[in-house]
Amino acid sequence: MSNSTPAQNKADPSEQPQQQQKPQVLEEDDEFEDFPVEDWPQEEAEQAAGSAANGGNEHLWEESWDDDDAAEDFSKQLKEELKKVEASH
Amino acid sequence: MATPTPILDQFLGGVAELVQNRDGAKLQDFLQIEPPLSENYLRMIQELRGGYPAGGPQSDAGLLQRCEALVPRTKGGSSWTAFPTFMKLYFTFLRDVNTDNLLDTYNQLKGLLNQCVLALGDSQMGVVVLPTVLYLSKVLAKLAMGLDRRPELIAHILRMEGGADNDDSIEKVTLVEQSANVVREAFIKCLTDRTGTAGTHGKPEGKRVGIYLMANLCLKLLFQCGKLRNAEQMFASISAQSPPLAHFPAAQRVTYLYYLGRYLFSNNLFYPALIALQAAYDQCHRQALSQRQLILTYLIPCNIIMGRFPSGELLQRPEANGLVEKFEPLCRLIVRGDYIAFREHLSPNSPAAEWFSRKGILLTLRNRCEIMVWRSFCRKVFIHGGFHGDPQAQAQRGPPPYLYLQKLAVATRWLQSQHQQTKLTTYVNHATPNFHFYGSQIISESTDPDFVGLGSPDTPTARQLLEKYGDYLAPDGFFDEGGNWQHNVPGQLIGGNPGADYDGFELDPYADATEDGPEANKQSLLMDEIESILASLLTQGLMRGYLTHRNPRFAIPGARLRGALPTGFPNIWETISTREKEDPSVPGWVRPPPTTFGAPALGGSGGRVVNLSGARPVGVQ
Repeated sequence: MSNSTPAQNKADPSEQPQQQQKPQVLEEDDEFEDFPVEDWPQEEAEQAAGSAANGGNEHLWEESWDDDDAAEDFSKQLKEELKKVEASH
Repeated sequence: MATPTPILDQFLGGVAELVQNRDGAKLQDFLQIEPPLSENYLRMIQELRGGYPAGGPQSDAGLLQRCEALVPRTKGGSSWTAFPTFMKLYFTFLRDVNTDNLLDTYNQLKGLLNQCVLALGDSQMGVVVLPTVLYLSKVLAKLAMGLDRRPELIAHILRMEGGADNDDSIEKVTLVEQSANVVREAFIKCLTDRTGTAGTHGKPEGKRVGIYLMANLCLKLLFQCGKLRNAEQMFASISAQSPPLAHFPAAQRVTYLYYLGRYLFSNNLFYPALIALQAAYDQCHRQALSQRQLILTYLIPCNIIMGRFPSGELLQRPEANGLVEKFEPLCRLIVRGDYIAFREHLSPNSPAAEWFSRKGILLTLRNRCEIMVWRSFCRKVFIHGGFHGDPQAQAQRGPPPYLYLQKLAVATRWLQSQHQQTKLTTYVNHATPNFHFYGSQIISESTDPDFVGLGSPDTPTARQLLEKYGDYLAPDGFFDEGGNWQHNVPGQLIGGNPGADYDGFELDPYADATEDGPEANKQSLLMDEIESILASLLTQGLMRGYLTHRNPRFAIPGARLRGALPTGFPNIWETISTREKEDPSVPGWVRPPPTTFGAPALGGSGGRVVNLSGARPVGVQ
């Protein structure tokens, strides 16, 4: 087997790269890259002045998102439908 | 052995000096292996091939002898024998490596790293090779992951060596997993170093400075090869033995917390995952956009599952670029309360599903968020169809606010009809039955994507089937009930005549027969499901009140003070986070012992050994 190995080895890699390019890019995108520097002070992790002044993370997340807008399409249609049923009873 | 080797001599002299000075960083810098190598290395390789040719009778022994001079000699000979062996392997690696055969390269490199990890094990000198172990680990990881993505580069080699490797009874260990195993050995050597203060207090000293460098690399490989389960032991040993994470540099902390958070997320431990990922996000350098984006990719779903949506401000940050269009529609569907649209959005044939699936969060989102959609749905039906309490009777004893579950049933049917209409207009042949006796009444999807098209006019003919599956449908013979081989007439179907009438033997996987006629059953089947969904919402604390089964209602007592809506439909995030906050520990994250000033420390804090198996997932009580 040793005799045929080198020739085959050389042939394969040169043929393959192009067709493989797309998935490769996708996956590299998913990899958590090494940081270019090893350490940094906490100030460099924080967002620019404006948002940091807000303190904490409260402004990053919406805790109250329930939709009370009766004029919104889905609610409106639902309301109509429930009314119809009421009337028919 | 007369060939002069001036560069090799010089190189060995340099290494000896670095070892004597215990200069690990420079030693690593000396021990280059990755092409392109500089001129000096190429000349040294020429010298090696000339003076110590591969396969030469005394080559390797001669090399080893020279390397043995590198380590300080004690009375009975060198005490750090692993190092000379490692150096000999280093030289033979340079001399013999053939990058045309990447599988060989991989195996040689793995052998080299293995030996270096052995050298790392020495209690006195080991720390000197720590930077080299890290360097070799990174090169090995890069090669393994590269080959994992481009298997065609070594497929032909594997094929040729297949003869010896064809035993299916042995579980195949991928190159990536093999690398993870070697790196884990290095991690253990770092973790168990006895230099300085042991245990989970003191600062990292000696080899312990390498704990998270090795752990992070190992985790990267384990994530790549999908063997997350193997990480559990690592996290447990870190909890038991590592110095606090806070003593390590930011890059290591952030990377570690990212992997830990993802691990916890994939184990459905959403609250600890949220704390770890939020900390990773908070400590990540603000310019490291790609890392921040990956952290957000898991931090956002973690929050959504616990009832907290990303704010406009968060989604406007540069690292959220590209995430907005993924998560915003999902949040909108949860708020809307249309469970069919939600299911369709995350169904395998939805264009949105592919990205979620690639990130490994599709199933988690699908399974964990639907209950919130139902809460929104019930809430809307209550707003428009519920009894909100009599304002006149407020002071006296009026009935509490309630919702007839019948209204939920009506709304569910209406929702189904809405979707059926759109389905009818978009794909003509996909009309789904409005009612079916078996299975769920709330799910209108009838066909598994794998079976789509089976009912179409081009159903294969018997002849086509036989041509394709004849070896299965009409084999040469079969084993009968007694386990005896029976020959079969060629071409005869062993499963019997496909035209046979089986109507008398209808298979009914559901135990309950239809007692009250189709119409009554139709109602009660749907009602059963609605009741159990509501019961689930109540048990999880996502709705508050009680259910009555006769004359089915959802009632909201004690609503006078706050009103029916806030009482019956409490804030999800508040409910879940209050419950989860009771245990703020994050398995796998060693935090310094709490300082006494400020808020009193809560029960399970830093350094405690936490058993991963004990924690319960969000949403389960």
